[in-house]
Amino acid sequence: MKTRFALTLITFALLAGARLLTHHSFAAEFDGNKRVTLKGTVTKVDWRNPHIYVYLNVKDDKGGATEWACEGGPPNVLLREGWGRDSVKEGDEVTIEGAIAKDGSKRCNSRTVNLADGRKVFAGSSEDNATGGGKQ
Amino acid sequence: MTYFVGRAFKLPVFRSGYNSPRQIMSHRASNAALLATAVFVLSVPLEAQWLNYPTKGTPRNADGKANLTAPAPRRPDGKPDMSGVWMGVTKYMINIAADLKDGVPFQPWAAAEYKRRRDTESKDDPSARCLPLSLPLKQTITSPFKLIDIPQKEEMVMLYEGARHREIFMDGRPLPKNPEPSWYGYSVGRWEGDDLVIESNGFNGQGWLDINGHPTSDALHVVERYHRKDFGHMSLDITIDDAKAYTKPWTVHEEPRLLPDTELLEAVCENNLDLEHMVGK
Repeated sequence: MKTRFALTLITFALLAGARLLTHHSFAAEFDGNKRVTLKGTVTKVDWRNPHIYVYLNVKDDKGGATEWACEGGPPNVLLREGWGRDSVKEGDEVTIEGAIAKDGSKRCNSRTVNLADGRKVFAGSSEDNATGGGKQ
Repeated sequence: MTYFVGRAFKLPVFRSGYNSPRQIMSHRASNAALLATAVFVLSVPLEAQWLNYPTKGTPRNADGKANLTAPAPRRPDGKPDMSGVWMGVTKYMINIAADLKDGVPFQPWAAAEYKRRRDTESKDDPSARCLPLSLPLKQTITSPFKLIDIPQKEEMVMLYEGARHREIFMDGRPLPKNPEPSWYGYSVGRWEGDDLVIESNGFNGQGWLDINGHPTSDALHVVERYHRKDFGHMSLDITIDDAKAYTKPWTVHEEPRLLPDTELLEAVCENNLDLEHMVGK
């Protein structure tokens, strides 16, 4: 049983490693230790290189709203994963979990994007490619 | 034809609508063929038309999938045909020296520059500014490259996503002695047994060897040794020979894998919103 669990973990790790592509260092822009979970309405999906962006309107308890821009993977990586430019559309209710920008702007690097019906989309994050491992 | 997008599957939805009875009869007669086509389409993950299009000449298992352990294909002259769409390994894209046991033989300035780049989380990476990746990062990055062997022209071509390319001349010409500095350099190749050996020089010294930021100079001389082990697997030794940046040549090894039944996609760096937010530490 333990062996099977270990093999499953290895398989997931390999699958994750196979899909990755970075355009820039994750850690140069985002803080992996500062997480955010954003629930809001998609206002725009910018399906362009070098990264896609999902813009969403997040309402707070006081009746206000904030516009967030969440970075995703490059379109080609997502295409090879089976996603497309219509996988998330304007008006969709989504929950995005990710890391926030170091400069304090309302930006995040999305690690997971969940639709209201529970489906996960755009799996994969440049965070998985964060530099720093194996320093010489 | 329109497409339904789903997780790992993109299925074609055939439109109905006919202009004549003959078309209806023709359609009925081809129902079986259509059904067979649909079954085939449903049985494999599909995306854009050329993202999953079966490549001619690919050996296949009984289930139709590419047999990646079949023998390497051969050219008419018996040399291995290295053609194919290949992908590097994430670990070496981030740190090309990840498995180097003796450490990187930095020159003092290169050690200091590498430390600065690490201390600032690679915020000055040229690729973050949509500049080219240079060599050998192009061969290790997890974005596919397509190698096309043209023996009758004594040339090989490497195409990269991002609409850039590299020519490797196999006609016996020497490397240029005083080349104009460039991002990709100048490449000549030769056969050593079944190994394809490519030497390159003429770099501009602006390229990084990896995302971590191992530096280069305009003295960079790269030697790549490719060995196609079987249909789906390649062995690649990369020697970094750059006397201005390193005290001696050093060699790393990686194993690119074939991506069967796919093609390169366009990737123009047109919407770079990161730069002003890359603060480093």
